[in-house]
Amino acid sequence: MKTLSDAPSEPSESLLKRRLRRFRGLRRGYYSFLILVTAYLLSFGLPFVMGRQALVVHYDSQWYFPAFRSYFYNTFGIGNRGLYLAKTFEQTDAEGKRVLGQADYAALKKQFAKQDNGNFVLMPLIPFGPNQQSLDQKGNPPYPPSWQHWLGTDDRGRDILVRLAYGFRISISFALVVTGISYMVGIAVGATLGYYGRWVDMLGLRFVEIWGSIPFLYTVIILASLLPRTFGLLAGILATFGWMGITYYIRGEVYRERSKDYVAAAIAVGEGHTSIIFRHILPNSLTPVISFAPFAIVANITSLVALDFLGYGLPPPTPSWGELIGQGKENIRDWHLVVFPLVAMFLTLQLIVFIGEAVREALDPKTYSRLR
Amino acid sequence: MSDQPLLELRNLVVSYAVWGGVFRHKVGEIRAVDDISLTLRSGETLGLVGESGCGKSTVAKTILNVVREMAPGVELGGEIRYHRERGAVNLLELRQRAMRPFRREIQMIFQDPFASLNPRQTVGQIVDAPLRIHTNQTAKERRERIRWLLERCGLQGSYIGRYPHEFSGGQRQRIGIARALAVNPKLIVADEPVSALDVSVQAQVINLMQDLQDEFGLTYLFVAHDLSVVHHIADRIAVMYLGKLVEIGEADAVYHHPKHPYSKALLSAVPQPDPNRSRAKRQLLEGEIPSPLNKPSGCVFHTRCPIAEPDCSIKVPPLEPKESGQEAACPYV
Repeated sequence: MKTLSDAPSEPSESLLKRRLRRFRGLRRGYYSFLILVTAYLLSFGLPFVMGRQALVVHYDSQWYFPAFRSYFYNTFGIGNRGLYLAKTFEQTDAEGKRVLGQADYAALKKQFAKQDNGNFVLMPLIPFGPNQQSLDQKGNPPYPPSWQHWLGTDDRGRDILVRLAYGFRISISFALVVTGISYMVGIAVGATLGYYGRWVDMLGLRFVEIWGSIPFLYTVIILASLLPRTFGLLAGILATFGWMGITYYIRGEVYRERSKDYVAAAIAVGEGHTSIIFRHILPNSLTPVISFAPFAIVANITSLVALDFLGYGLPPPTPSWGELIGQGKENIRDWHLVVFPLVAMFLTLQLIVFIGEAVREALDPKTYSRLR
Repeated sequence: MSDQPLLELRNLVVSYAVWGGVFRHKVGEIRAVDDISLTLRSGETLGLVGESGCGKSTVAKTILNVVREMAPGVELGGEIRYHRERGAVNLLELRQRAMRPFRREIQMIFQDPFASLNPRQTVGQIVDAPLRIHTNQTAKERRERIRWLLERCGLQGSYIGRYPHEFSGGQRQRIGIARALAVNPKLIVADEPVSALDVSVQAQVINLMQDLQDEFGLTYLFVAHDLSVVHHIADRIAVMYLGKLVEIGEADAVYHHPKHPYSKALLSAVPQPDPNRSRAKRQLLEGEIPSPLNKPSGCVFHTRCPIAEPDCSIKVPPLEPKESGQEAACPYV
């Protein structure tokens, strides 16, 4: 038997790999992706850059690392009540970490400097926690930008740069969780409707339409004002009212893929429903989902900002962009309250939109219809 | 080839409901396959021809029970009797799970080599599917088998890790053939396997299919609309029009001496490559093929038939033997 000679010459590449390669070739989107992912991953190390816990304490020729574990305040030989953070034991700070009557390391640093006997405290680059109030300046907060507080403070004397940074982490995490949940629900429902079709599709679609006609923001506000507002609850509510959009796309895709010959071939070969759905149809139907994901994340960040702005978002004192903008509305003369959160939001959303644009372009089967 | 029947269609009816109106009620039905009976003998190639929309692909897909899975709500009637050593089974009665053992013996080749291979799977995964489902072989044994199959179908064994989009149409169709061949089936239903290929590649694929038939003793149901291709490969030819079988017989008899007026018209439409041959005999049909939603009464062909008699619109003509050996559904020839 002769063998055909017109063999494909370049090494084999799956569709996914080819699209990834194309995505990497789209510089703007790819670099935005790298920047955003790096920033998000680094934000989990934020306490080492911005925080009130000292990185290193050298005391009595011993080394302590308060950023990694908590030390009781009298470890450092201080009895002065002004030098420790929590007034009672087992108190927790805003991040939920237990504060066992820890020392106020900024004050401790000053004291060690005054004593000048070889002890020292190494503080993070920006020695403020997201909920730490600095009220030691003249006048009332919000304080404008200064050397101490680079972007100023909010109306409770909390450092805006620090709150923006912690708010970034929360916003992205929130949007990822909401997008993840709503996509899982949307894909499951859409695939079911598209695959089984007929009356399942008919009834299911009507349900989705009715569900989608519930005014989302009002429902969220009502629910958020009735129930205790936690990260999980808010994410759950947003996902509950946010999964319908993707359902339509998945349903359509599955509907189309289902009628293709390779599905007929899978049936003819004897594959079961599960195998047909997961091996054959879904991998071929996820393109719109993937290209919509960055924009869904943008939408969810914006929703969180909007809810926080209206005061129905994450409970205080969670660091949040929307809440800062809300403060800006109340302190209309303090421009830094509005400008910096908006700039942070703009930059983040712009990066994500760049990513989304590149993803869409990388997934586009028509090479010549690209935006350039 | 023997006279042993392998597959028998008995009064097969496939009809799709047509839904419409405000309340989505059934407003009509399309009988894509209307009361077809034919027998496929073990080891032969039966060519099923007809113009597009006549139901020939539906016949192919119904045999593998694909129609019911792909178009839930389709109504099926009649019997598809598959003959095994221990007696015959009606495939139409079987659900997907019960059908599985028979899928090992009946495989299918699809028309569109671009749509019939999952673009996300490698050639190896595609050809592996029947082996994975129907055999207990280890991954290594299956891999060996896949390489052997690819080479047997004229591809390189090293293509195993490649994706369908890296191949040409003819190569893809060879992948489809390798998949159909994987579990040593007895019957291969080929649904227009070469219609989407260009002529030189058609010849290669047809020759491959013939070689494989000789080597493995396969039986083919070969669906096509190209009569010269069918005449080349088939032992017998069946002609369909609007869901009805109008003529069936030995390939030479049907090809050279068609009896039914529709077969005659179909054959006279085959392009003649020889410009010196007379075209006087060409017989063109008038009008369009009627809507399958609203089929003519009596003989479905009477609206376009050059020799129609008044009672053609009343009586449904049965298939009856003609002198050149074939059966045709027309009493006036």
